[in-house]
Amino acid sequence: MNTKQLDEARRVAKVEWARLSDNTEPLIYFGTGTCGIAAGAADARQAAEDYLKETGKSARIIEVGCIGPCYLEPLMDVKMPGLPRISYSNVTPEHARRILSSFFQDNEITPFHLAGSHGEETLDKVPRFFDMPMLKPQVRVVLRNCGIIDPDDIGHCLALDGYSAIAKCLTSKPEDVLDIVKRSGLRGRGGAGFPTWKKWSFCRSAPGDQRYLICNADEGDPGAFMNRSLIEGDPHALLEGMLIAAYTIGASKGIVYIRAEYPLAITRLKRAIGLMRELNLLGKNILGSDFSFDISIKEGAGAFVCGEETALIASIEGKRGMPRTRPPFPAIEGLWGKPTIINNVETLSVLASIVRNGPEWYSQWGTETSKGTKTFSLVGKVRRTGLIEVPLGTTLRQVVFDIGGGTAKPFKAVQSGGPSGGCLSAEFLDLPMDYESLASVGSIMGSGGLIVVDADTCIVDTAKYFLTFTRHESCGKCVPCRVGTMHLVELLEKICAGKAEMSDLDKIDRLAKVIKEGSLCALGGTAPNPVLSSMKYFRGEFLDHIVNRRCPAAVCRDLVVYRVIPGKCTGCQRCVSVCPTNAISGPRSEPHNLDPEKCIKCRSCYEVCRFDAIAGDAIVIEPR
Amino acid sequence: MALQEPKTLAMQINHRRVEFPEGVTVLRAAELNGIKIPSLCSHKDLSAFGSCRMCMVEIEGMRGYPLACDTRAQEGMKVLTESVRLRELRIEILKLLLSEHPSSCLLCDESDDCKEYQGTIRKTGVSTGCRFCPNDHQCELQDLVEELGIKDIDYPIYYRGLEPEQDDPFYDRDYNICVLCGRCVRMCQEVRGTSVLAFSWRGRKAKIGTAFDRSHVQAGCEFCGACVDICPTGALADKASKWDGKPDGFITTTCPFCAVGCQLDVAHKDGRLSSAKAALDPEINDGQICVKGRFCMPEATHHFTRARKPMVRKGRYFRESTWEEAIHAVAAAISTVQPADIAMLVSPDLSCEGLFSAGWFADSVIPGASLDTSARDLLPGGAQLWKAFFSKPISLKDISRCDTILSVGLDTRFHFSIVGVQIRRAIAKGAKLIAVDARSGNLTRYTDDWLQPMPGTEGALLVALAAAISGETPDSERAATSSGVAPEKIAHAVKMLASGHDIAVLVGPQAIQNGGPAVLAAMASLLKSPSVRLVPFYFGANSRGVLELGMLDRTPSFGIEQLRSGSVHPKVLYLVGEVPFSKRPDCDFLVVQDIYLPPFDADVFLPAASFAEAKGTLINIEGRLQEASQIESFPDGMRTGFARPDWWTFTELAAAVKVSPPALTSLEAVQAAISTAFPGIPAKADRMPRVSPEAFPPGVLKAEVTSLNGSVGKFRLVPSPAGFTHRGINLVAKVEGLAMLALEEGIRMNPADLKTLGIPSGSEAEVCVTGTTTKAIAISDAECPAGCAYFTVPTTCGGIEHRTGMQALFKHTTIVGADIAPATGSSTQVGG
Repeated sequence: MNTKQLDEARRVAKVEWARLSDNTEPLIYFGTGTCGIAAGAADARQAAEDYLKETGKSARIIEVGCIGPCYLEPLMDVKMPGLPRISYSNVTPEHARRILSSFFQDNEITPFHLAGSHGEETLDKVPRFFDMPMLKPQVRVVLRNCGIIDPDDIGHCLALDGYSAIAKCLTSKPEDVLDIVKRSGLRGRGGAGFPTWKKWSFCRSAPGDQRYLICNADEGDPGAFMNRSLIEGDPHALLEGMLIAAYTIGASKGIVYIRAEYPLAITRLKRAIGLMRELNLLGKNILGSDFSFDISIKEGAGAFVCGEETALIASIEGKRGMPRTRPPFPAIEGLWGKPTIINNVETLSVLASIVRNGPEWYSQWGTETSKGTKTFSLVGKVRRTGLIEVPLGTTLRQVVFDIGGGTAKPFKAVQSGGPSGGCLSAEFLDLPMDYESLASVGSIMGSGGLIVVDADTCIVDTAKYFLTFTRHESCGKCVPCRVGTMHLVELLEKICAGKAEMSDLDKIDRLAKVIKEGSLCALGGTAPNPVLSSMKYFRGEFLDHIVNRRCPAAVCRDLVVYRVIPGKCTGCQRCVSVCPTNAISGPRSEPHNLDPEKCIKCRSCYEVCRFDAIAGDAIVIEPR
Repeated sequence: MALQEPKTLAMQINHRRVEFPEGVTVLRAAELNGIKIPSLCSHKDLSAFGSCRMCMVEIEGMRGYPLACDTRAQEGMKVLTESVRLRELRIEILKLLLSEHPSSCLLCDESDDCKEYQGTIRKTGVSTGCRFCPNDHQCELQDLVEELGIKDIDYPIYYRGLEPEQDDPFYDRDYNICVLCGRCVRMCQEVRGTSVLAFSWRGRKAKIGTAFDRSHVQAGCEFCGACVDICPTGALADKASKWDGKPDGFITTTCPFCAVGCQLDVAHKDGRLSSAKAALDPEINDGQICVKGRFCMPEATHHFTRARKPMVRKGRYFRESTWEEAIHAVAAAISTVQPADIAMLVSPDLSCEGLFSAGWFADSVIPGASLDTSARDLLPGGAQLWKAFFSKPISLKDISRCDTILSVGLDTRFHFSIVGVQIRRAIAKGAKLIAVDARSGNLTRYTDDWLQPMPGTEGALLVALAAAISGETPDSERAATSSGVAPEKIAHAVKMLASGHDIAVLVGPQAIQNGGPAVLAAMASLLKSPSVRLVPFYFGANSRGVLELGMLDRTPSFGIEQLRSGSVHPKVLYLVGEVPFSKRPDCDFLVVQDIYLPPFDADVFLPAASFAEAKGTLINIEGRLQEASQIESFPDGMRTGFARPDWWTFTELAAAVKVSPPALTSLEAVQAAISTAFPGIPAKADRMPRVSPEAFPPGVLKAEVTSLNGSVGKFRLVPSPAGFTHRGINLVAKVEGLAMLALEEGIRMNPADLKTLGIPSGSEAEVCVTGTTTKAIAISDAECPAGCAYFTVPTTCGGIEHRTGMQALFKHTTIVGADIAPATGSSTQVGG
């Protein structure tokens, strides 16, 4: 297939795509990314199918990826002929039936679980989906097709100008493409923010006839799912980006290194690669040009350290995923000793848009040094969780409060950059999120995990959690990381248990510096960041644990007591039934008694006690 | 082509200008200039790893603290190896390391006193030095702790609590002491090319182990001990010498166990041989070694059944005696019979001095006596042929430079292990390996071209392949029909061999002994190809010495074959380090001169000095005359024994029978006599490779393809050696660990065959060969080709007490046809 034939295929695809807007048959969309399925989209879909079968109505069901607002999952969109696509949120199977019956039987738009309508058209009493407070401030460049197209249908992608960027590249020289990327100001989205064009030009100038392009999709940060959602929702964005990158650096072989824990993303990638081969978008002489390139998938076995580029290469080579010292950098000496470019999923996925719309279009967003947009997975105690994309330089406040809707309890901190990043307190809410600003306060951009915590969260406990993660995920090669993180966790455990002394803070400080300076790779080099930043910005809370033996957030088990408030307890016995150690006793309808000797602080009673009639919980946890 | 001399560059280390050759690391550049940078994980023979972080330095213009071991030194670099921060970091990191390491031997309050006063005689019980780690005082970690002056650890101690791994032979692994420097892993992968060891698990659970935690025996370990020797701590320790403590010193010697003749550094403690490790000898083994040389020496010479005193039979009793008495008994026996009734057998494991003296004794003292050696079996085809094989230079080291390697019936796991290392080194450089082997061995793992002929038909295949190498048109079809190898596989191998420029043809002892004349003929035909390096491997450490000292040129009246079959009756039989019998051979008077007693009655036993107790020279496969040093020289005594070198015994005997030929009164005299009699052999070991002057007379051998036509039976009965021989003893019986590596006694057959025959694995089977029926345990072995039955022969019959059931089979040294059926009358399951 050559460019002309591709244009023809695109024309056909556009016609097909237009039929989805002025449809004659009703369309039902389901967001069936992993997040949607986890929330119950598959059940809702089944219910919809059953409904159609029972009622004999006909409708076409289309599966799309995740559109972003996780807290609304599962999402079901209904597109009746003549009406815009209308989204419904948190759809259970029962809801699905009820919504569909209102459309099909009552012929009306029900406000039940209504989220909003898509498209330009405005309807009475129906808000626009993208005007929602969570979505309105966002700029969707990478995510533009996520939740919109069927990822398994390459026609949808073609209709929305997919693969037009690579066609454009193939008519210009690789140097020109490099120049476009340079002018766009794109920096690596994997975390370190190294200018993409610079890395590429190192690789281009490295001697050797064979070059490799690797896409790092080994997303392992706790709470991060940007890459997964992106691949599940729009695998073609990534694959087209890989074509562009490979063309620019002169690679003939591409590898997507993806976690085996992402089965759906792998399936969709494989499907998309197959479709590309059919259209000669992969293989020999792509689109009739001299450029040949193929992509294979390597499934990672689930080691966090394999996200480190040298470990990743070792893993592809069939060795144990252990980092080695750099230099030589992979751009000079990488996979099988050949020049290799390793880019993050997001970096590669944004390339097509940059080429299509021009570098100036992309650099309109962002700050002086950090151009463009960035996806974040906004999770934690925030009201509206999900996958978001905002221009770089957006403040934390905008993200947490405008997009995320703030926290239920008072806001406490944001952990950015996962276990390698830092914990930022409320004083940094107006900090613009760009590479330099985040680094200047001891955190990192990272790949885009944002974990929001509120007053109910103990900051020492959070730091301990991240350190436990790195301790477990350390490859074990170098001493500071393997043993150092172990001692750091132990010290934090000591603090959480109220057994620490002031000198332990100095020990943590000293140890953290040794780990930072002494470790071989970035995993160890950044491992102490969560504890260092939280010690810096939440020193009071650490001191509270050590001096007063008190956990203000009432999380650290050894520092809290559980108690029944007699005035509030109605004696409903719910807590009695869940207590695993029979610590709570008392006759029905009388305030219960909680025996602190027997209590193992499992929190079960606190969670079941929801006595709305008497405001507040009858069982309290309080700092001892 | 001369190697280009690397350029000399200059840089600054600690403000001092230093010079270094281009291409070295900062660590090496510093080392070359006498600047020590602490390090645990780096090693000069291994690639950089960077796990211990000790060699961190500061380099101007580089971020952070780069590692000296993993940074290439460059012109004009400015390096600081010591600074306040570097010292702090090193100490902290080492403390972290120690926090998971049992450190009582490092940080004990009493350590100074302990060291100082340990030798003091006291009346009361005091600490006599703790022994928590076998590497006390020979531990690199200990040295480093001392160097950095660490006196206490302010971290809590986390003992890993791993079970010590002691189930494999030869070395124990206590990974609680391991510092995860990865040296053993890199050694196993990079130098040995075996990749048995690897890192497993991650985080704090990370440890060294085999894939899927299999035992080392199962994982394909060669037990070369390279990992043990390179371990900086006591995590890996040699079982035999584990608690011997720091050796008093090392003596370089030649390994007495095979014809490769590896150079060893033998450790001695209190005058006793303690352990052996490979010497860094660049000529042969370059720091590598096999299981026999690494681990078998102490037990082979110190085993509790070692016979150290002369013994003489008097009536019904066989009693310890004095040397005088024993010598007189032998002299008396010799004097009373005609020399023509005397037969001598010498072992190819004797030193040149021993062999020469034996020959001298037979020729000059009892002229007319018969003298033979089992080297005649080990080097079949005649002395002429083998001299021809040795007429081209052989270099084991050069195997790694070949572009094509053909191995025939060679398994380098436990025998000729360093050859396996060279082969894998060649493969790593891009060489092609074609392995011809009936069973899968450790070389078949590394090749896609494994030709699997029926055992005994290797010759047919080799004839075709040799033709291809010589540029002739091979008869591939005939080779395919005789050997059962697919024609396209042969065609592929033929193509590869025809395109090779530097071809090594390595023929293992199994192929030489089982393959018949066809193998020898094919080998001989290769001698004229200039691009071929032919290496015939054989057992017997000094078999080449036997050949060069002319002992195979004799035509003995009592040949080894006749003696073994019992068809002759010498009046006096004198076994010198050679016991190829499982019961007393037919003779009137039996003299045994060896390091262990034979498993049957003798009339006189003369205790010989072992490799540790006497000096001597050996000629290796490359023709190098090498010296085996004396390690132990204890005075005679009840415990230390009365063993004597073989040449001494012959001299004494000569004196006793009152014949006065020119006396060989000292080792030097024997060596001088050898040099006089054989001008090609120098009086002093020169370690120079040499070739035999004889060229091969053409047309002696005809390529005959072995066929089993005419022999009865459906199965090919293949003798497969079960043990490891030295001086007529099977080392398996003396060295505990070897028993775990040797094949267990029995008939090994393909599981499918066993099923068809209705013989459960582990039960008895009847083996019927030309009328005689023997019972043997059938063992299911998926590696055996169908239609074959491998029976385990001890490499020699003597010296082992337990192999009796299958004796009837042992006389078959070549492949014969056999019928196999379930044993009648007994359905007893054995083993399990």
